[in-house]
Amino acid sequence: MELNNLNGNIVGVIIDDYPSDDFKDSLVRDIIVKKVPESLKMVKLDESFLDKKFSDLSIRNKEKVILASKLHDKEIVLVNFSQGLIKSDFNYFKTLFKKIASYNRKIILIDKNTDLFLNCVDRIYVINNDEIKYETVDIFDKILKLYVDLPKIVEFSLKCESDGIRLDHYTELDELLKAIYRIKS
Amino acid sequence: MISNDEYNYIILANDIDRVFLGKYAEYPIIDNIKFNDLKAKLEFNTSKRIVFNNAFYGYREEEKKEILELLKKQNIKFVLITSDIEEALYGDYIIVYDGKDIILEGVKEVVLKEEKTLKHIGYGLPFAVDLSTQLTYYDIFSKVYFNLDELVDDLWN
Repeated sequence: MELNNLNGNIVGVIIDDYPSDDFKDSLVRDIIVKKVPESLKMVKLDESFLDKKFSDLSIRNKEKVILASKLHDKEIVLVNFSQGLIKSDFNYFKTLFKKIASYNRKIILIDKNTDLFLNCVDRIYVINNDEIKYETVDIFDKILKLYVDLPKIVEFSLKCESDGIRLDHYTELDELLKAIYRIKS
Repeated sequence: MISNDEYNYIILANDIDRVFLGKYAEYPIIDNIKFNDLKAKLEFNTSKRIVFNNAFYGYREEEKKEILELLKKQNIKFVLITSDIEEALYGDYIIVYDGKDIILEGVKEVVLKEEKTLKHIGYGLPFAVDLSTQLTYYDIFSKVYFNLDELVDDLWN
């Protein structure tokens, strides 16, 4: 399966056992080689990381280093980037991905956490045995739930829907709260 | 740090490296393992407590619940080290780190009330806790929910 043939500027992919990058005991300075200070800054790391071994880093920082090493590529493929990230990181990196994609570059997020896809990807693919099993542009697509857990806010809306309460498909808590308040008052 | 034999502990951490894991070296540590392999491993476990280092990443919710049930059935307590705030709901006692420092700790019901701190550090709150907490400000709920199904049921009934 040629991932670069998938449609979309930022693409979400659900696939099992895709090999991830492992730089083992390499020093970070040997991994990030293009526009080093700028790349580090964009992933919120400082230059003290350059002399650290990849294997000694936390999972979260490993993912940041991998991203920094690819930031200037025409096509960026990240495998399980969400691993080790905390909630606030998701928002930061989604904004960064959108900015990168706006420069006509492609980002492919192979990930098991669909929170990373919410408000970020143009299209989601489910791939199995080198074949596209399903594709959708809508994270609220109920069929997607057969393949992967959906973000909690999506799950909430779908549960309400199955209880006969129609809510618009909100992806932000503030908007959802206002909608609930309108219905309840 | 792990002082109560009856508790399952959640360690919320944003910088889990080898040094950090060294604190739990007295227990078996399981990380990054396929669901079926983990189940098989637990069948033959003899330890009273196991440390999971981000081990549930990528599991579906029903798989996580199956593992938790299996642990309960075998009377195995756990320490789950995670960066995913949703997984905080699986434990009894939560210790929250920011880097190498403990910022908060206590039983789940108390720690998850620390909305400002958890959001400030960047972990946020589990969705059900966040939504129900916000709904208490709107006077729609009078309590915080830890379970999304219960929340939905109580919201519309």
